[in-house]
Amino acid sequence: MGAAVTAVGDPPRPAPDTRPAPGTRPALGQFLRARTTPAKLRLLMVGLVVLCLIWGGLAAWIVSQRASGANNVVGTSEPLSLDGQQIYRALSDADATAASAFLSGGLEPLAARHRYQADIAQAAAHLESATAAAGHSPAARDLAKLSAGLPVYTGEVETARANNRLGLPLGAAYLREASALMRGTLLPAARDVSAQADAQLTAASGQATGLPLALLLLVAAGLLGYVLYRAQRWLFQRTHRRLNPGLVVASVAAVVSLLWLAVAFFVARGDLLEARNHGSAPVAALARADIAALQARADESLTLIDAGGDDAFEADFKTVEHRLGPGPATLLTDAVTAARGSPGAGSASAAATTATAWYAAHRTVRALDDNGKHTQAVRLVTTSGPGHSGTLFTRLDGSLTAAIAADQVVFRTHAVAGRDVFTGLEVGVIVLALIMAAGCFRGLSTRLSEYR
Amino acid sequence: MKPPAWLRLPAVLLMTAAIAAWAVPGSAAVTTRPAQHPARPAAAAAAACDPTASLRPTGPPQVARGSFMAKIRARGYLIAGVDQSTFHFGYLNPLDGKIEGFDIDMVHAIAKAIFGNPNKVQFKAISDAQRIPEVRSGAVDIVAHTMTINCARLQLVDFSTVYFDAGQRVLVESNSRAKSLADLGGKRVCATAGSTSIANIRAASSHPIPVAVPFWTDCLVLLQQGDVAAISTDDTILDGLAAQDPWTKIVGPRFTSEPYGLAISQQHPDFVRFVNAVLQQLRTNGQWAASYAHWVGTPVPAPPPAHYKA
Repeated sequence: MGAAVTAVGDPPRPAPDTRPAPGTRPALGQFLRARTTPAKLRLLMVGLVVLCLIWGGLAAWIVSQRASGANNVVGTSEPLSLDGQQIYRALSDADATAASAFLSGGLEPLAARHRYQADIAQAAAHLESATAAAGHSPAARDLAKLSAGLPVYTGEVETARANNRLGLPLGAAYLREASALMRGTLLPAARDVSAQADAQLTAASGQATGLPLALLLLVAAGLLGYVLYRAQRWLFQRTHRRLNPGLVVASVAAVVSLLWLAVAFFVARGDLLEARNHGSAPVAALARADIAALQARADESLTLIDAGGDDAFEADFKTVEHRLGPGPATLLTDAVTAARGSPGAGSASAAATTATAWYAAHRTVRALDDNGKHTQAVRLVTTSGPGHSGTLFTRLDGSLTAAIAADQVVFRTHAVAGRDVFTGLEVGVIVLALIMAAGCFRGLSTRLSEYR
Repeated sequence: MKPPAWLRLPAVLLMTAAIAAWAVPGSAAVTTRPAQHPARPAAAAAAACDPTASLRPTGPPQVARGSFMAKIRARGYLIAGVDQSTFHFGYLNPLDGKIEGFDIDMVHAIAKAIFGNPNKVQFKAISDAQRIPEVRSGAVDIVAHTMTINCARLQLVDFSTVYFDAGQRVLVESNSRAKSLADLGGKRVCATAGSTSIANIRAASSHPIPVAVPFWTDCLVLLQQGDVAAISTDDTILDGLAAQDPWTKIVGPRFTSEPYGLAISQQHPDFVRFVNAVLQQLRTNGQWAASYAHWVGTPVPAPPPAHYKA
């Protein structure tokens, strides 16, 4: 507001006498008392017009900040986060599917082949849209790593297949190499994309809902209203006319723009917070759980492929199981907590129950494999049936995916609604500020003309 | 690729003598991992070591009451630590998902001697580096895994009599000019971790750069991708790798001798004698020759003769 006051105390024409230091109210008072009424009117007119324009600029800037935050949430960071999750999902599933296709021995099942191909196609599609959405954000580097690594991975898997179909054990070595690339480079990059997009989403959502700028705008509106009120009171005392139409129009425009801003900010904030609390927050927690579950599933298959080569994969399974839960401070329990009250809550709880059953089935698989019943162990993992590890995992993954999809809808609906609240607001605020400025000019120039 | 049959027996005898002479420095080389126990008594024992001499069988294979074989029979299956990636010796056949090969034939013969059924076996695929720990921990009853008998290993496990004679050579891509390790100084040469081959590469006077991987097929992946210039290990293993890639060739002569034995825990001398009895049957009843012809090819040499401790 200092700027506005300075503008008032800094008249457009050079003052004939020595000016006191501008920018303070007592100085302004002395300055005004020293002048004739027309000069004071002229000064007031310029001051009010400038003040209205500054208000318009400030309001428009703050609205554009919020609108761009909301736009970023809906248009960039949320799709990017989703793409990152989908890339991870697809790649992790491709890894597990390629592994279990080898596991089954003999000719690879057609269903497994199709699933692998669909996974790769999906990963490529999401990689492309994520690259478009990422622009120059930090995720771009990880996306470049993924784009470069994916063809290498598929090349190694196809080499593995070709050797496998010739009946050569070299195929298994290529599969191990491919899987090492996937787990060592590609999956961590996909995880980073998601994490970076989530951070971006939090920042953008904060920008669209943050309170400090809204409070600044409120303070500015209060000051403007006070100045308009004082100006009209002063005019009334000087001229003894009750209403000045120009200033009334300006006041009405100020009230309208303030109401519009307040309602828009309030409604958008509510929508965007809802989108986060019952949308993107549970989605992110559920996605983290799903990613961990997929990793454990790949471990289960790879342990059987390595046929006891070493127990690194089984050790990893146990680590992931510990992280996934359910239990205090585990991914699944966190996801269930985050999803509470959202449409995905039911599926999230079902996932937590299924996870426990899956671990039990996994232990059966390990017990069979450790006691020389490799074939039976493989059957439990690769075929479906009651109590089969493969079936239970599919159910776990399905529950998590369903919960993610349900909360995704909540997010999109509310985030889009929150963003749309800002439609026209920026232009509206500017137009109203121009009306205010015009009203002030017109109202005071009418009075000025009476002195001619 | 193989020396003719008439050369094999003298070669074996020569090599057996050579091994005895080579045993002391050889064992020192393998045990030089930052010595936790500067084992002087072990070195003294190694000096007197005759690596290929094993325990004499007490007769035809018989499962005596209270023997280790009786325990295995009570369990219902034999547990064998095997390779899953060495074509023709121990490999997971992708076509049927079964582990097959020359080593695997030996295991089936032992299972048949215990159970009367060659298929009562649980195969546990292990890497080269896991062979000794798996035997010593009792996780497996026996290891059949292209495993060279030497005095250093005899400190840790027992071996059967020699059931196969191999020797280290070099595999390169077919356009390579290298003829032996001598031409591969400064080049990357692959072998599995924990194998005698990697120790031999490390010890080569031309100073190739040893690259250690878990499985032999991993070496072929690296060779095909141009990450290593050569693979150097037993000719038996190299044959299996060359069979998977027609653009490779095996070059140079055998420059080591690698007599293969089945590794058994030192806790079970009765099982060593039993296995030696089984191997002796295979040598004489034509099964050894049949396995050789099936997995390695013809002409079939005479099986390595059994050599027992005095």
